[in-house]
Amino acid sequence: MSKEKKTISGFERYLRDEIGIEFKACLYFFAMLFFYCMYRVIGGVYEASILHMAELILMTYGMGYLQVYVLSNFDEAEQFGKKEVCYLVFCSLLYTGASWLFGWFDRQVGWTIGFLGYTLFEYVGAVWVYRVRRKIDEKLLNEELRAFQERGRDGEGN
Amino acid sequence: MKYTIQQIAEGEDEVILRYRERTTEVERICSFLQGELRRIRGFMEQEQVLLEPTEILYIESVDGKTFAYTEAEVLRTEYTLNRLEQLLDGVNFFRCSKSMIINIDKVERLRSLPSNRIEATMGNGERILISRTYASDFRKRLRGGGGNE
Repeated sequence: MSKEKKTISGFERYLRDEIGIEFKACLYFFAMLFFYCMYRVIGGVYEASILHMAELILMTYGMGYLQVYVLSNFDEAEQFGKKEVCYLVFCSLLYTGASWLFGWFDRQVGWTIGFLGYTLFEYVGAVWVYRVRRKIDEKLLNEELRAFQERGRDGEGN
Repeated sequence: MKYTIQQIAEGEDEVILRYRERTTEVERICSFLQGELRRIRGFMEQEQVLLEPTEILYIESVDGKTFAYTEAEVLRTEYTLNRLEQLLDGVNFFRCSKSMIINIDKVERLRSLPSNRIEATMGNGERILISRTYASDFRKRLRGGGGNE
């Protein structure tokens, strides 16, 4: 063990959170881009608007900050209770509101409602993915712990 | 083997072993001293107790006082957490937060928590949180790398 105190700097902490937010933004952006592209293709349009994509990126990035710093990072929550459900619905409504405001789906009610449903589904999927990832990580951690303890018993620990 | 015992008025207690060859006798004294030095002196109520590091589940610093927890007992030690970290160098202890050191050999189970934190369930069922600041070093340590180094 070290003789010095082991802590990370403020910058490293900022970087760690920032990477988490970037990851979130990518995840939600790609999912929404898929829905947006489907809308365009079904409507017979084979080009995506650069402006809409920029809006989508900025929106998902901003929502990442909101989720991490204000809404307790609810999509990664250990327990999913009433509070998390409220946050999930709130964020989905914000995305839907943005889609209406920026005209991503040309303010068509049907597609906007569909987008709300898709966003809710996307959040549920993200919660499930994060949970599965933790389960796999947990299994690996416990295997490594047992191996470490075995090594220690055999006199090879450390 | 000739030996001298000397009482001193001040300064730290010290053992100096001088030898020409590292004989079995010298080896035996060395291993005895290393074993003794590793033992942690603590107090239970007013009684002084020597504790084997392997018996300790975790060590915690609370309000400037340091406590060592075993399966059944809590002992107050006069060492600081940093000093204990040095004393237990080479044993399977890990600094898991600013105020705590855990004995990895006494961890029953690990749980992966959101935001890359880890929860360790100790032998007595107590749960200890390894903050994300220390979690990546902990993972490295388990994989045989140099976490906490």
